[in-house]
Amino acid sequence: MCALRLLVAVSVVLGCILPGGTAWAHFGTLTPSDDIVTQNDTKTLEIQVKFIHPLEGHYMEMVKPKQFGVLHDGKKRNLLNTLKPNKGHGPDQPGEYTFWTADYKIRRPGDYTFFVEPKPYWEPAEDVFIVHYTKVCVNALGLEKGWDEPVGLETEILPLTRPYGLWTGNLFTGQVLLKGQPVPHAEVEVEYLNASPDNPAAVTAPSDPYVTQVVKADAAGVFSYAMPRAGWWGFAALSEASWKLKKNGQEKGVEIGAVYWVHTLDMK
Amino acid sequence: MSDEPVSLRLTGVPLRKSAMAAISGGDLPIKDPVMKKLNCLLIAILAVLLGSTAAMAHKVSLFAYVEGGKVYTESYFADGTPVEGGMVLVYDSQHKLLLEGKTDKAGLFNFDVPKVDDLTIVIEATMGHKNSFKLKKAEVEAGK
Repeated sequence: MCALRLLVAVSVVLGCILPGGTAWAHFGTLTPSDDIVTQNDTKTLEIQVKFIHPLEGHYMEMVKPKQFGVLHDGKKRNLLNTLKPNKGHGPDQPGEYTFWTADYKIRRPGDYTFFVEPKPYWEPAEDVFIVHYTKVCVNALGLEKGWDEPVGLETEILPLTRPYGLWTGNLFTGQVLLKGQPVPHAEVEVEYLNASPDNPAAVTAPSDPYVTQVVKADAAGVFSYAMPRAGWWGFAALSEASWKLKKNGQEKGVEIGAVYWVHTLDMK
Repeated sequence: MSDEPVSLRLTGVPLRKSAMAAISGGDLPIKDPVMKKLNCLLIAILAVLLGSTAAMAHKVSLFAYVEGGKVYTESYFADGTPVEGGMVLVYDSQHKLLLEGKTDKAGLFNFDVPKVDDLTIVIEATMGHKNSFKLKKAEVEAGK
């Protein structure tokens, strides 16, 4: 018990000392087992929903999301009741943390944009709640239609680059929207998912700035980033919500993130 | 316009700006026979390049499912444009042609289940664009 208290105390102190920004970038994570479904592929996707530090592989406990669904052919479908809890942890993390998985069967051609809105996560180190509205797109059966449509989330990244069939080194361009309007000069954090199934070897960052890349959007909220490695890449554009949430009777700020995931493949 | 050679070179022959103008729609007469040949070659290369781009953008697909004893097919280009008047050919597992038909305005062509078997459904659009879809026996059986 005493040891646990000490651990908590140390964590709190460290949390205060270490820079709250880049090294601790949280990412809502939404990764399907495949991002391009062809007719010879299995039509059932396994989708993982997590709240992690993608490069370092640290998990954060995630309660059941508020919203989980898919946009296909202009229609939204609620998939919340397909989510199942699961446990996982980072390579150097003691304990187990909850994440969520869902199976989804592709039945028709076209683009499927999956989206998740988690319940607010309290981050004591930053004294804010965090809500990451996260999206990923899966293309099915040769019909490339729908990826450029917004879902209508409070904040979201609208891809300007078709978000699948990307090679390593490709430039991903997106637009940051808040309540449907572009966010001028939005700051976008970019991280590589070290646990990408096709990552041949874990990436170790030589120093903190390598963990999270940072790009700023232009006046129209448009940003670009060239992805140097095969696997999953997450883009998180952070804004402050116009609303507050209460923690122990005190009003606290809410960081809302628009997160988008894309997959790259080496050209060979 | 000066006759200074521009930096673009093809098979070692300097290409003059006047030739460039002719290729891009200008009507300057080309007297030099070498330039004429070069011009033709460039147009041919451009045609091939443009042609292949068009073919890419016109990738055609067919999607099929079985419901209530009928096979429903939809044929479309990658951007969602329906394939109108495309030939649909249905083969069994022995590659025997069972039936054929034409897609309608919406790219659709439906038919009664011809046989409980692995079916290969081929779409042939114009300009040689072709693709196929395999409907597994189990799917055919389930939808019968």
